[in-house]
Amino acid sequence: MKTGETGVLTTTLENALTWGRSNSLWPLTLGLACCAIEMMAIQASKLDISRFGSEIFRNSPRQSDLMIVSGTVTKKMAPRIRRVYDEMPYPKYVIAMGVCVIQGGPYARGYSVVLGVDRVVPVDVYVPGCPPTPEALTYGIITLQKKIRGETDR
Amino acid sequence: MSDPWIELNIGPQHPSMHGVLRLKAKLDGEIIKELEPVIGYLHRNAEKLCEMGYYCDNLVYFDRMDYVGAMNMEVGYLEAAEKILGVPPPDRAKWIRVIIAELSRIAAHLVWAGAYGLDLGMLTPFFYCFAEREKILTIFTEACGSRQETNYMSIGGVYQDFNDKIIEEIKDFLATFPKKLEEIYNLYVKNDVFLSRTKGIGVLSKEVAISYGVTGPMLRASGVEYDVRKAEPYLFYDKVNFEIPISHKGDNLARFLVRFEEMRQSLKIIKQGLEKLPEGPYFNPKAKKSMMIRMRGEGEYYARTESSKGEFGVYIVADGGVKPYRVRVRSPTFKNLSILPVLSKDVMLADMIAISGSIDLVFGEIDR
Amino acid sequence: MVDIISESIGKDNRKIILVSLENLIPFMKEMRSKGFDHLSLVTAVDRKDSIDVVYHLHSMERNEYVVVKVNTKNSVVPSVTGIWPSANWDEREQYDLVGVKFDGHPNLKRLFLPESWVGHPLRKDYDLSKVQYINMDEDGEDYVTFDAGDGW
Repeated sequence: MKTGETGVLTTTLENALTWGRSNSLWPLTLGLACCAIEMMAIQASKLDISRFGSEIFRNSPRQSDLMIVSGTVTKKMAPRIRRVYDEMPYPKYVIAMGVCVIQGGPYARGYSVVLGVDRVVPVDVYVPGCPPTPEALTYGIITLQKKIRGETDR
Repeated sequence: MSDPWIELNIGPQHPSMHGVLRLKAKLDGEIIKELEPVIGYLHRNAEKLCEMGYYCDNLVYFDRMDYVGAMNMEVGYLEAAEKILGVPPPDRAKWIRVIIAELSRIAAHLVWAGAYGLDLGMLTPFFYCFAEREKILTIFTEACGSRQETNYMSIGGVYQDFNDKIIEEIKDFLATFPKKLEEIYNLYVKNDVFLSRTKGIGVLSKEVAISYGVTGPMLRASGVEYDVRKAEPYLFYDKVNFEIPISHKGDNLARFLVRFEEMRQSLKIIKQGLEKLPEGPYFNPKAKKSMMIRMRGEGEYYARTESSKGEFGVYIVADGGVKPYRVRVRSPTFKNLSILPVLSKDVMLADMIAISGSIDLVFGEIDR
Repeated sequence: MVDIISESIGKDNRKIILVSLENLIPFMKEMRSKGFDHLSLVTAVDRKDSIDVVYHLHSMERNEYVVVKVNTKNSVVPSVTGIWPSANWDEREQYDLVGVKFDGHPNLKRLFLPESWVGHPLRKDYDLSKVQYINMDEDGEDYVTFDAGDGW
């Protein structure tokens, strides 16, 4: 972006779009297990996520563009997650919250848990922790915003 | 199909299903004629994994059962595991457990109250409840470094001793919370919409409740004075004074009132716990942290404790090995959910949401 | 008075009563009439050559706990759902995970896993290395497959 001396802001259409998109992420309330409570906590007072532009948690996949998979993905639930993901409009992003979602976590040795949600849907940002603190999830959302804008941390 | 009813599928991804409950409903207009809960979307094979892990490792699965009141789950498991292994905790650890478990109960009820408000279309109390819950989680963080799935207790005691700062924080909480609790309470009971959606809805009679195995605040709201903390005291619950709140109405509002009164009683217990907290070791020297994996257990033990949802039972069968032979969990919400088809027969669809919310569903515990 | 096989006191100070399979239903009816109105827990324990089914009975009025055990060789046990409705889901869960068939149960279907799941996971001889996957068909019903490419 360049600010001219006349106070006019010039940018590309692409940049303006991604800037708008990254600052109005509407997450889907896909609360599966323990991490869902921490996901609720980031909406509540003290850890207010709306400071970063994604306060409106939508209940319908049709209205949301960010899926925070919070909680263990079981084999029985995986087809449903895929269907919910397919119902979301493009562009859509996925955050994998917690180690269960990343690779099965403490339940990986069992018989009924999917070893990572990236086998079901493509994942943009992984947030480790069991459960991740709300601060970690907030950081994950900010990382995703940077990713959408095409910035890097390096 | 011969019946003229409409079939409706609700869940597993649904805002008011508190996780992953799926309901198959048959509707006549807006009246529910038949309801069939489908569960298992969070079946994480905890019981199988318990057979594969050492006694001390298995605590992690219990933390993640009732994840909003995790400390009560730890108490439940350790009540059974410590008896099997023969390593009782010292007195100080027991009092610490009482204090922490009651704090956890308050946190669990606050989460429930906030989520129940959301179910009934009230957003404001949610923020109040979670703000108070954050204070409890700060205490937990101070005690063990983790917020929610704490893994604070361990076989033979607790992981870390209480320091002065934690005690100071708990005292601060005890001083400020009662006023806040009344504030939250008034947000609900002075709201006409809330009252009209809870009063007289989902009435559960005493006999039906007992025959379906309903326990906890749901049973007490139906007029049965049954609380494991009184009926079979564990830890030091026989040395503290508190009352069991009951109500005879049996409706949604009664369950709400019983849970709020329970929080007030929990505060009383925490206060007495802090007064009686003795000096001494917080860990049984027999259960040295590095030695724990080699501990062997024999026999079988069924321990029941009162979690925030009801009677939480852990049944451990041991065969003399370093791992349990069979672990079985009696989860209160599992039994409480089985009453939902009975309660929601011939009620409006919207009232069913109010009823299922009042049960206090936590799926980590139902599906395990 | 129904015959019992043996009576003992467990580690948790609860009375453990062992009854034979054919006496289970009359014995449970007797216990129900004695005031044990709350069936707290039904557990099946796989003993490799046989299966123990353990019932934890509780009387709300007298606050008394009794453990009733029955042993079965062919994994069939009469259902007690007619006596306590709370046995309904418990028995379905134990059928699902341990594979005890409860004779006379009104709706003996799997509770957690899909109906076509192979084997009962809490059996000691269950093979964890044979991974099963689940997928959903067009009608929203689950099916189980051994092909990793077809399910999750």
